[in-house]
Amino acid sequence: MIKKKDLILAAVILIIALLAVIMITFTKVEGGEAVITVHGKIYKTLPLNEDDIVTVEDESGHYNVIEIKDGNVTMTEANCPDILCVKHRSIHYNHESIVCLPHKVVVEIQAGEENNIDAIAK
Amino acid sequence: MKKKIISILLGIFIIFNLSACSAQSEKRYEASFLELFDTVTTIVGYANSKEDFTSYSQMIYDNLEEYNQLFDIYNDYKGVNNIKTINDNAGIKPVKVDQKIIELLLYSKEMYELTDGKVNIAFGSVLSLWHDHRTKGLDDPSAATLPDMEELKKRSNHTDINQIIIDEDASTVYLKDPDMRLDVGAIAKGYAVEKVTQTMEEAGFVNVMISVGGNVRALGHKFDKKANEISWSVGIQNPDLESAETTIHILNLSDASLVTSGVYERYYTVDGKQYHHIIDPETLMPAEYYASVSIVCEDSGLADSLSTAVFNMPYEKGLELIEELDGVEAMWVYHDGTQRYSSGFRALINQ
Amino acid sequence: MKSRNVATYGMLIALAFILSYIERIITIPIPIPGIKVGLANLVVITALYLMGPKQAFVLSMIRILLVGFTFGNLSTMLFSFAGGILSWILMVLARKIQGLSMTGVSILGGVGHNVGQIAVAMFVVNSTTLIYYLPVLILAGLVAGTVIGILGALLVSSLKHMH
Repeated sequence: MIKKKDLILAAVILIIALLAVIMITFTKVEGGEAVITVHGKIYKTLPLNEDDIVTVEDESGHYNVIEIKDGNVTMTEANCPDILCVKHRSIHYNHESIVCLPHKVVVEIQAGEENNIDAIAK
Repeated sequence: MKKKIISILLGIFIIFNLSACSAQSEKRYEASFLELFDTVTTIVGYANSKEDFTSYSQMIYDNLEEYNQLFDIYNDYKGVNNIKTINDNAGIKPVKVDQKIIELLLYSKEMYELTDGKVNIAFGSVLSLWHDHRTKGLDDPSAATLPDMEELKKRSNHTDINQIIIDEDASTVYLKDPDMRLDVGAIAKGYAVEKVTQTMEEAGFVNVMISVGGNVRALGHKFDKKANEISWSVGIQNPDLESAETTIHILNLSDASLVTSGVYERYYTVDGKQYHHIIDPETLMPAEYYASVSIVCEDSGLADSLSTAVFNMPYEKGLELIEELDGVEAMWVYHDGTQRYSSGFRALINQ
Repeated sequence: MKSRNVATYGMLIALAFILSYIERIITIPIPIPGIKVGLANLVVITALYLMGPKQAFVLSMIRILLVGFTFGNLSTMLFSFAGGILSWILMVLARKIQGLSMTGVSILGGVGHNVGQIAVAMFVVNSTTLIYYLPVLILAGLVAGTVIGILGALLVSSLKHMH
């Protein structure tokens, strides 16, 4: 039933997938901003260091509520049929994302601009 | 064949572990509060959790508050003998004070010697007259007046720092001259910030930048997106407040203080002319040399003292003093916008 | 032979239905609607080995349509189609490789299924960020594919005895 070639195939796929997972885990960097896109177009960009609540709504009444609190981003509310987006855990690392497929809403964490000035001496 | 696969897997795993940069475990937090030293205090630092950061911030607040009360010359605090208490008892009796005040006064005496008297905490009687006129002038700009020069000259006879009698063992301070007043405004903020910074560092808060009303002290580093240590970026206020550019330079600072003295900080207007709060001991009038002076060095108390002193000195004398001191750099900004630097200042500039 | 085929078809579709239903109960922590374990692949691969690529394809499409209309909606069907087609292509090609057993074919089928779904999802939301889910999904497909491959072999051999 299981032959040698199967094992090789499984091993190759396993290695590739594991490597990808390891790479992604080890290059995890804190994000700087949350970029909300609707149908692929950027709707709003929010800095992660400011608490905020944003509601994305379209003409047909589909809405998603995105909240930034303490540097974490969650989808707190939505009226899509599966609300998988709401069930998603909070995100804050670069490249993490929460997707609401039915509404085509994506919240992605990106690096954001480097803080240029930390303070001003007066 | 199996062995080969396993060993390859292991090898890759090990390589990745070695080359993996540890994900940054400390996050950046910010907090600010008013009330202390009559100004805004901002703390930006890295901690493992918000709770840790909050408790560090609380510690900073508590420490600063203690210094604020002790060094206050305008307010009384129940059960606390502070600088105001010393002033109130000038010519009357010695006042027992906290060791922290003794240390500040001794430090201030050192700064007096270092700067040839250009920063003098015994200058209070002259400064208070200016303070009164300035306060009245801000309350009612139409009735703003300058202090009388004769009165200023009279008061300047009561500014001998050696008339401050400090008894270290008894922890008392006595102003022998009844007309003398202490004003620690030129040194107190920086001094307090430096002391609090030391406490922060000992407590384990090592990557933080604190700004008390623009008196900036950077400890350790901040981190860039890849979790590498980089210097803090601190801007210098453009003395021209009308300009579209808020800052004139951004400096890279790490384990350093940046203090600026400027004409724009505290001033009032009389007959269309602005009179600021840094009074030249020679002329008894606001110093006219520059629009602002910025000092960079590790110790905040030194930076604060020097910024006032150098502001009151002609350029050559100021430059001489700065170059003599190790680890101190300065920038002078003239009224027409010209800038001059000490020899090592340029190296600090980012933008 | 034809009536046997019809009977086999019917049985396999019924099995697909049951498996799809079971799938819905099992939830994966990946928040992309339409992502499934791919249990129904068992039916497709069985058909592939029992009857042939064409029949497997037909079965797969019928299964997607019926299940889609019963349990899902139009958009989830889109993902099922994408997964199903890519999965079928890979399995048919894999079957031609010498030395690869049903398990190996099923692995590729499972991986292909999930990759197809992610590809369509990325297209639908117009964003490349979903690609970060790929490694996890590939692993899931690998595991599911292995299990199905073994089960499929069992199923095929028991059904062959009936022929």
